[in-house]
Amino acid sequence: MAARGGERPPGRYSKGMTEAAFYLALQAILSGILVGGVYGILSVGLSLAFGVMRIVNFAHGELVMYGMYAGVVASRNFGIDPLLILPLAFLFTALVGMVQYQIVFRHFVGHATLNQLLAAIGCALVLQMIAHLIFGADARTAVSMFTGQYTVIGPFFLSQAQIVAFIIAVLATLGVEVLLRTTTWGKAVRAVADDIEAAEIVGVNSSTINILAFALAAGLAGLAGTVLVTYFPTSPSTGFQLMPIIIIATTIGGLGSIGGTFLGGICCGIVQQLTAMMWNSALQDVPLYILLMLFIAFRPTGFFGTRAE
Amino acid sequence: MNTANAMGLKAPPDAGAPMRTIIFMLLPVALIAILPLLPFVNNFIIAVVVRALIFITLGQAWNIVAGIGGLLSLGHGVFLGLGCYTTGILYNKYGIPPWIGVWVGCLISLMFALVMGAMTLRMRGVFFALATVAMSLAMVQLSRHFVDLTGGADGLALKFQGNSLWALQSRTPAPFLYAALVLVIIYYAITRWLLQSKFGLEMMAVRDDETAAAAAGVAVFRTKLLGFIVSAMMTSFAGGLYVQYYMAIDPEAAFGLGQAIQLQLPALMGGLGTAWGPIIGGAVMIFLSEVTNWGSSKIGVEGGDILVYGIALLVIVLRAPKGIVGLIVSRSMERKR
Repeated sequence: MAARGGERPPGRYSKGMTEAAFYLALQAILSGILVGGVYGILSVGLSLAFGVMRIVNFAHGELVMYGMYAGVVASRNFGIDPLLILPLAFLFTALVGMVQYQIVFRHFVGHATLNQLLAAIGCALVLQMIAHLIFGADARTAVSMFTGQYTVIGPFFLSQAQIVAFIIAVLATLGVEVLLRTTTWGKAVRAVADDIEAAEIVGVNSSTINILAFALAAGLAGLAGTVLVTYFPTSPSTGFQLMPIIIIATTIGGLGSIGGTFLGGICCGIVQQLTAMMWNSALQDVPLYILLMLFIAFRPTGFFGTRAE
Repeated sequence: MNTANAMGLKAPPDAGAPMRTIIFMLLPVALIAILPLLPFVNNFIIAVVVRALIFITLGQAWNIVAGIGGLLSLGHGVFLGLGCYTTGILYNKYGIPPWIGVWVGCLISLMFALVMGAMTLRMRGVFFALATVAMSLAMVQLSRHFVDLTGGADGLALKFQGNSLWALQSRTPAPFLYAALVLVIIYYAITRWLLQSKFGLEMMAVRDDETAAAAAGVAVFRTKLLGFIVSAMMTSFAGGLYVQYYMAIDPEAAFGLGQAIQLQLPALMGGLGTAWGPIIGGAVMIFLSEVTNWGSSKIGVEGGDILVYGIALLVIVLRAPKGIVGLIVSRSMERKR
């Protein structure tokens, strides 16, 4: 509250200024949607792992950070556009996720207990420190062919890297939805999520399904990270910094719902950008935290979650 | 039997040999009390012991919410930070001594815990955990932003006045040794009392089975909320001591997740829900942290203790969920058989 004031001149706005404010708000909403789509794809993996296995992976942000470093290595060390190595980044973090699952989360499938959350934090610390040892504490950037390019559409000024990231985010989310809804494997995943014992009875091998679902969730995190790094620098602590947004997007959209989580991410983006425009960009996340508390208090299933009791 | 009693696992302390239990408890207290008088002890060793004692108090406070109450408060750093910042700001800006400031910090933590708990504790544990984590990260951002009040990302440094009881400041760490020791004993007594009292039993009943506890007539929500508030206030009070001892606080050290993990590890390592757990765990944790910091500064890398904390967390959760006390108790039970 203390930061309010001093940014806008007092007194009445003229007609031209109202119009300018209107376009500014529209601009904020548009860039909010673009940023929010990426928040959505960042969060989808967390939501998937929770929906299928009841695992809250606090190391999800760390997997995103590994995806970001994959983009950095491709761009800086090999001179390859980060967007071209998306499948590789996906496979790499999926592999990290599988190792994580085999060592740790295998023991906690079914309910998010204190021990599971603590184990996830332990994983996050270890993964973060490994990145710290390899890359050091400095922030790194990657350059794709869209980085730093802007497009002017009518009165709006949009970053090309963000537009491309948004498109990839939408495609990846749609891909996961199609995978889960139409393929036999996807049906098996949803069966395990609904009722693990019934799924076992009809012949689904739940342990294989679980590890592959976890790998998919981790891979999505890596993919999202590689997309994100085209316009956002990374450092070993980036994973922790991203976790609040990921948690909020997932809770607003509904833990366990893929499409809901994606929309939750877009909500976060819009609220964040509007706050940054109207109030203060350093406090752009504060309304999100209030939103999170309100959702937890009054609608813990989010917009689309159905299974949170 | 005796070991189990001394560890505070069994509620009534009267069975067995009470004399031995008392000696067992007084020995470490006496050892720490005479520490500054011993010939080979320098300020560095005392400082390490004070650090251990402070983290023991923080662990004891967290043990109440997580060990006895079973609530997944992963962002308890919020209350540590509130205690630190309130005490520090009141002293720096208004000259109010920590003797009063720390109570103001407790009061603010109470209100914070009340609002947070009232909004999130009716829901399943995961949402409470998510909310506490998000809240602690929000506090990092807020304390970075309001530079006038908190000193921003650089943090807040207390104005130093030399040795002063009024401002609870000292050039040597020895006075803090006694202050922290007294706090550890008080918190230990509170934990022991909780483990035997009706309220503590209700908390444990809620932890073990909410539905059954509600059926037996326990007011589940109120019990959880009270436990959360008590723990928050204790954390905040220890935070007051923390800031007086270190003379400085910054957003990461106050509210950061790394700090939140440091204040959970004593209870986790020692044994959740036991009175001795945080004490043993805190000593082990600080020992580990000092050794790694010494080792990693020799090699020339920083942040080695965080890696060790992460590995320790994983090992405890996967291999010894009942902590060191749990290991000792099961060992002594095996011997009896």
